[in-house]
Parts: sequence; C-alpha cells; structure tokens
Amino acid sequence: MASANKRLALPSNNNEGILARVSSTISQSPIVHKGQQAASDVAYVAKRLLKSTGKAAWIAGTTFLILVVPLIIEMDREQQLTEHEMQNASLLGTPSLPAK
Amino acid sequence: MESIPPTIHEIMEIKRIDYFNLPCPVPYEEIHREAMMSLKPDLFEGFRFDFIKGLNQKFHLTHSLSMGPVEVPSQSSETLKIPTSNYEFGANFLDPQLMLSGRILTDGRLNTRVSYNLTTNLVLKANAQFSGESPVPQGMANFDYKGKDYRTQIQLGNGDLIGANYIQSVTPHLSLGAEVFWVGQQRVSGAGFAARYNTDKMVATGQVASTGLVALSYVQKVSEKTSLASDFMYNYMSRDVTASVGYDYILRQSRIRGKIDSNGCAAAFLEEQLSMGINMILSAEIDHKKKDYKFGFGLTVG
Repeated sequence: MASANKRLALPSNNNEGILARVSSTISQSPIVHKGQQAASDVAYVAKRLLKSTGKAAWIAGTTFLILVVPLIIEMDREQQLTEHEMQNASLLGTPSLPAK
Repeated sequence: MESIPPTIHEIMEIKRIDYFNLPCPVPYEEIHREAMMSLKPDLFEGFRFDFIKGLNQKFHLTHSLSMGPVEVPSQSSETLKIPTSNYEFGANFLDPQLMLSGRILTDGRLNTRVSYNLTTNLVLKANAQFSGESPVPQGMANFDYKGKDYRTQIQLGNGDLIGANYIQSVTPHLSLGAEVFWVGQQRVSGAGFAARYNTDKMVATGQVASTGLVALSYVQKVSEKTSLASDFMYNYMSRDVTASVGYDYILRQSRIRGKIDSNGCAAAFLEEQLSMGINMILSAEIDHKKKDYKFGFGLTVG
C-alpha cells in the first residue's frame, strides 16, 4: 500500500533529481520484479540440474569403472598374449599351435 | 494356393526330426544354469583364501579362510555389518560311482553331501546340515532318474517335504517340465512349470510356480568364449521385479563376469590365473540405491 502511494506521488515530487526518479521507477516496475523472480527460479533449477547431473555422472562413472575398465584391461592382456605367442612362433619357426 | 508350398515344406521339416531320438534335457533344477553362471557369480566381501590339497587321485582336502564384514539383518534400512572371520575344513572323495563331501566350520556348522550311482541311470543324492543352534539336522534326499529323453527326480526332506519333478524333451531344442511339492510342516503345497529352448547360439528359459514366481532368462552366446545374459524375475506375492543384464568372458588366463540390475546394483567378478595353480579373485559390487559398496579379494591355491 505504501509503495503504491509512493509511486503515485512520484511525478509530483520535485525534490528528487530526474535520475533518481528514473531509477526508482525502474526498480519498482513489475518487469524488474518479474525478472528477479525468473532469475532466482533459473538459478534454483540450474542448481538442481547440476546436482542431479553430478549424481548421474557419479553413478555412470563408478559403474563404468567396475564393469568396463577391468574388461578392457583383460582384453588388452589377452591380445598381448596372443601377439607374443605369434611372435614366438614366427621366431622359432614352429607352426603356431593354439594354446591348450 | 500360395499357402500350400510352405505347409508342405513344414511337414517335410517336421518329418525330418526323429522324435524317438531326442537329446536328454538338463535337470529341472538346472534349467537356468547358463544364466545363473553368468549373472550370479559368488560375490563376497573382504578376504578369502582357499587351499586345495590333493592327497591322491580320489581324495582331496580343502582349507578355506574368510575374513571380512558380514551383513546382519536389522530392522533399520541401513545395512549393519559385523566383521567376522571363519575357517572351513573340507574333505572330498570323488569316484565315478560315489562322491562324498563334508565340510565343517569353526562355528560348529557341518555340511555333508553324498552322491551315489545306484544304477547307471538312477542316482541317489543326499545332503545334511548340522548347525550348533538346532539339534535336528536339516536333511534332504533326492532320487534322480535319467531316461533317454527325459529326467525325473523325487525329493524327500525333513519337515515333511516331498517333491517331484519331470522334464521331457519335446523337440530337439525345446524341453518342457513340471514340478509339484508339498511341505507338511507348514502345510504348503505348490506346482510349477518350466520351458527351455536351447540352440548352439542361445538359451531361453521360462519358469512359473504357484508360489507367485515368474522367472525368465535369455543367454546369447556371441562366440565360443563370450556370452551375454539377461534375466527377469517377478514375484507376484511380494510384487518385486528385478531384471538384470550381464556379460561373461572366458579368456585364456582369466574369466570376467559383470552385471547390472534394475535395483541399481552393478557387480563384477574377475578370476585370473597368476601362475599354475594360483588363482586370484577380485569381486566388486556397488549398490547405488542402498549406498552399499562391497569389494573382495581372494586367492585360490591348489
């Protein structure tokens, strides 16, 4: 109620400078108010989004570490072993027999 | 007119199958074995050491030591873990005709197992568990009969348990089975049906039981040493549903199994041969929902 009165009284108030009058009109305008609200909403959503993406990244990362990393290491070792055997076979000149 | 050629072809196809020479199906209890092997590795937490000592061709002793936290059932949602250690001594006698096995734990539990071939087709299997708490041992005896294209089993156990199951090959790939059981002590009875379809490349199974259990599984053999498995479990009574997918790689010096299920639980199990007779086991399980992390390290010698 008080702010409404003030806003109504503004144009007749000659004591304040033009700059102050403009700035107070802007700061009290509904557009600015809405803008502030929107900004805080965006910040809240962004925070939540960041938090949930962080959680998802954690879950995906740990799962990957458990399920995929050991598999890659083992496949690599297997390949190394095969290559090593191939090399040995070619060096010794023996026909490459499959192990076991 | 166009529908006639395929039907004739189908009849030819059916005629070619010799229904009097169907393969013997897998036992009823083991219809899910491929999926079980890939999706249910023996996960553990803490440290494990197993030593197998063969005294001669037929007789061997096992010593196993385990240390680590053990989950204790509690009312609260948080899991309660108590560190424990255990030593288990086992003796096994293996012979084509007779198999005897016994293991005893430091807390007084004793497990015994007997398998005896009465005839070439009839096998008697019995097991008993003695625990320190209850004076009455838990026992069970099975009579397994293996026919040309069917298998049947009769189970007798204490607590007035009587059960029977039968599985029959219907086509070279498909086998169907049924079971009935009756527990006199709790006055519960039930029946179940199962189907299994297997080819060289895949195995699909389904099982329904009157206890409200529905279990489906599918295993695809990608190559000789690689398979992908998935299963689905639904309990009508408790309304829980679980589905899981996993892989199983058998490499030259190691075997690795991994799975992830719909409860947010990822697990991996790695067995690696370090040198002749020494195997290392690494087990990992992450439960994202319960925030429960289990890691285990084990060694097997012998």
